[in-house]
Amino acid sequence: MADQPQFRSSVTNPVATPAGAPALTDESSLTKVSVRARVGASPLGVDFTRTDRRDGVLIAGIRPDEWLLLGAGAGVEALLAGTEFDGSVNRIDVTHSRLCLRLSGVCSASALEKVCSLDFDDTMFPDGATGSASVAKVSSDLIRDDQDGEPSYLILADRSFGQYLYDAIHDTTTEFSSAWPSS
Amino acid sequence: MLLVPCPHCGPRNSADMSYQGEASSRPDPSSTTPTEWREYLYMKHNPAGWLRENWYCSSGCRRFFTVERHTVTSEFREPPLPGSKTPRPTGDGADPARGAP
Repeated sequence: MADQPQFRSSVTNPVATPAGAPALTDESSLTKVSVRARVGASPLGVDFTRTDRRDGVLIAGIRPDEWLLLGAGAGVEALLAGTEFDGSVNRIDVTHSRLCLRLSGVCSASALEKVCSLDFDDTMFPDGATGSASVAKVSSDLIRDDQDGEPSYLILADRSFGQYLYDAIHDTTTEFSSAWPSS
Repeated sequence: MLLVPCPHCGPRNSADMSYQGEASSRPDPSSTTPTEWREYLYMKHNPAGWLRENWYCSSGCRRFFTVERHTVTSEFREPPLPGSKTPRPTGDGADPARGAP
């Protein structure tokens, strides 16, 4: 994880968010490290379907045997260096293979529910929850990471779906815009 | 729509899953006969009743799991634990010996 090539996002044509609609931003340049261990182990002290934030690094239990670290490169490296892992734990930098989109805003859950079968109600998917499901037919990991008191969701998928997934989610947000249609 | 109970993710749409077929014991390839091996590969039981099935949670936890599904009503239930004495209810025509834990 020392020398990384320059990051290039797979979202090549981002579109401006219409006024009032949930904001969709590309955060793929965040450093992402996958940590895998045996089922039942908890090398980072975070349970499956839960998240924790340490020194600016988001730790998400995305599968029973996998955790994802998201944050600035130096922060993630420092966290990994400061954690003691046994020999059975794998750490893989997936920064360049994973897409990361953030959907934020009051209506973001309603928008996301159009393309995903998960229940995003506050009681089922509160702040700090994670889940994995199909988003617009793409296998994705979802993390709720509220910002400034507003619901906010991180959507992670394979990099190759970048522009498609961006466009599909952007389409779901347009009806929540307060702007008049252009035509 | 089938609501498949994943042990890790909870009830999920079957579109998020991948059906892996009947759960049956794999014979030892080094000692089995060609007939037994062919039956294991191709001869599915397909009862009108409870059937042990393997599923793969492809969009969720990405783990394999076994459940029992009623092939007429598509009702799901957990399979009995291995070695359990609880008799496994079977549907019409189902063979209790096949796929027993």
